[in-house]
Amino acid sequence: MHLTILRRHAPLWLSIFAGIAVWEIAGRSTSAAFMAPFSETLVRLWQLITRGEFIAQFIDSSELFLTGFVLALAVGAPLGMLLARVRVLRIGIEPYLMTLYATPMVALIPFILSIMGFGFAPKVLVVFLFTVFPVLYNTVEGARSIKPELIEVARSFRTSEWALWREVMLPYTLPYMMTGVRQAIGRALVGMIAAEFFLSSTGLGQLIMGASQDFDTAGVFASIFVIGLIGVGLTRLGLVIEQHFARWRQ
Amino acid sequence: MSQTAVISTSAPATPRAAARSNSSGFVPRLVTGLAILLVWEIVVRTLAPAYVAKPSTVLLAIPRVLVDPAFLQALGATLWAVSEGLAITIVAGTAIGVLMGRSDTFDRMIRVYINGFNAMPMIIVLPLFSLWFGYSSATRIATIIFAAIFAITMNVADGARSVPREYLEVARSFRSSRLSVLTEIVLPASMPYLLAGFRLAAGRALIGAVVAEFFISQGGVGYYILYNSRSYHHNEAFVGVLLLAGFGVGFELLVAWATQRFMPWYRRDEKTT
Repeated sequence: MHLTILRRHAPLWLSIFAGIAVWEIAGRSTSAAFMAPFSETLVRLWQLITRGEFIAQFIDSSELFLTGFVLALAVGAPLGMLLARVRVLRIGIEPYLMTLYATPMVALIPFILSIMGFGFAPKVLVVFLFTVFPVLYNTVEGARSIKPELIEVARSFRTSEWALWREVMLPYTLPYMMTGVRQAIGRALVGMIAAEFFLSSTGLGQLIMGASQDFDTAGVFASIFVIGLIGVGLTRLGLVIEQHFARWRQ
Repeated sequence: MSQTAVISTSAPATPRAAARSNSSGFVPRLVTGLAILLVWEIVVRTLAPAYVAKPSTVLLAIPRVLVDPAFLQALGATLWAVSEGLAITIVAGTAIGVLMGRSDTFDRMIRVYINGFNAMPMIIVLPLFSLWFGYSSATRIATIIFAAIFAITMNVADGARSVPREYLEVARSFRSSRLSVLTEIVLPASMPYLLAGFRLAAGRALIGAVVAEFFISQGGVGYYILYNSRSYHHNEAFVGVLLLAGFGVGFELLVAWATQRFMPWYRRDEKTT
């Protein structure tokens, strides 16, 4: 038993150690402006954390992320169900939705900047635009796949429209919606950093930008490392959420 | 490992879904389209300053932009960079993916990095890449590759892993060489996965190109949009956005067409549900 666990996990840990070793050696053997070794990155990261700089920027970014994300969910989910329920609306809007879904939203950032300026609202809009389409799209897909019989039975029992939404549409659509949420998390993170890079510089984006402008290579690596870890954590969270709800999608 | 299968194959099959409702939707679509344009026009005319793009002025700008040599040059630069980046990505991504799919040891060694990089918001590497590659088109290519490669690798790895065991056993009992097993069984079996990965990768490559152009002011469609919207030529800039949207949709349609044309046995709808 112990041996199989060891055999399963040993390659993972070995590869992590090998990665750190390569990072350390590459960092030490190239110029300091080019790459910072792992040890130096950790020291720098510790400094950022103890000075409170990191925490402040992290909170700043979280506000942006959560505001945009919650707005996108609040708009995308009900709108998606409405589109699935009203057939004409869906047929009319779907091709445009698909086009927007495939459009690289980053291209809209310069317009948002020059129309809305540097406040908090334009940045929330960027996160919102990155996030809303996966939620919307998957919700429509889910609500559309509801078996017509379910709705017919509910109808023949004279269910009110509100009860139909609450008892049939929402529970049935939720797993699909959560697939959208999982996809949206990654996109929202990209949107957040893009907004912080190209609109007013704040949050974790500012942490990297500041470090790279000061030619503080260790700072750049420390920020990328941390944001990478946050990305991994959020992706995991998205998968857990999706799989939790996927259990009641037969 | 079933987690990764969920990641890579559950992206919605957009063009198919649209094609299904293609039969009777012309009138509602036209009406909705016109309504969207009308609302946009009215809102911008009444509320926004004159430089903000609205349908009527964007329409007028289209012919002007499409013959503008500066725009054509930008378009060529971006398209070339995206194709170059995607070509490198497909070759390298497929190679790594097949290795991961066929060798458990290699998979366990490298998966943590592939998953980790894939979960990173890709644009955070821009400051680093601009430090490494300078303010040149090399940074753009590097960003495109970084943005696109993990989607392909993860999908191909899933594909190479899912080759039916019987096929491999038959091949072995006929004493086929490792190379011919690879080229005649593993690669063809991974093709649908490669295409699904390509669909994701192409979209990300486009984003990567635009973001890199914003960041390092490298000539291209992204920079054209940035430059024109900064100098309040929103209409011209918006033509660039329309073109990018066109590429995005074009890639989707291309993949849908290729899947149906070359892999008629493969039904994505059945796989996702």
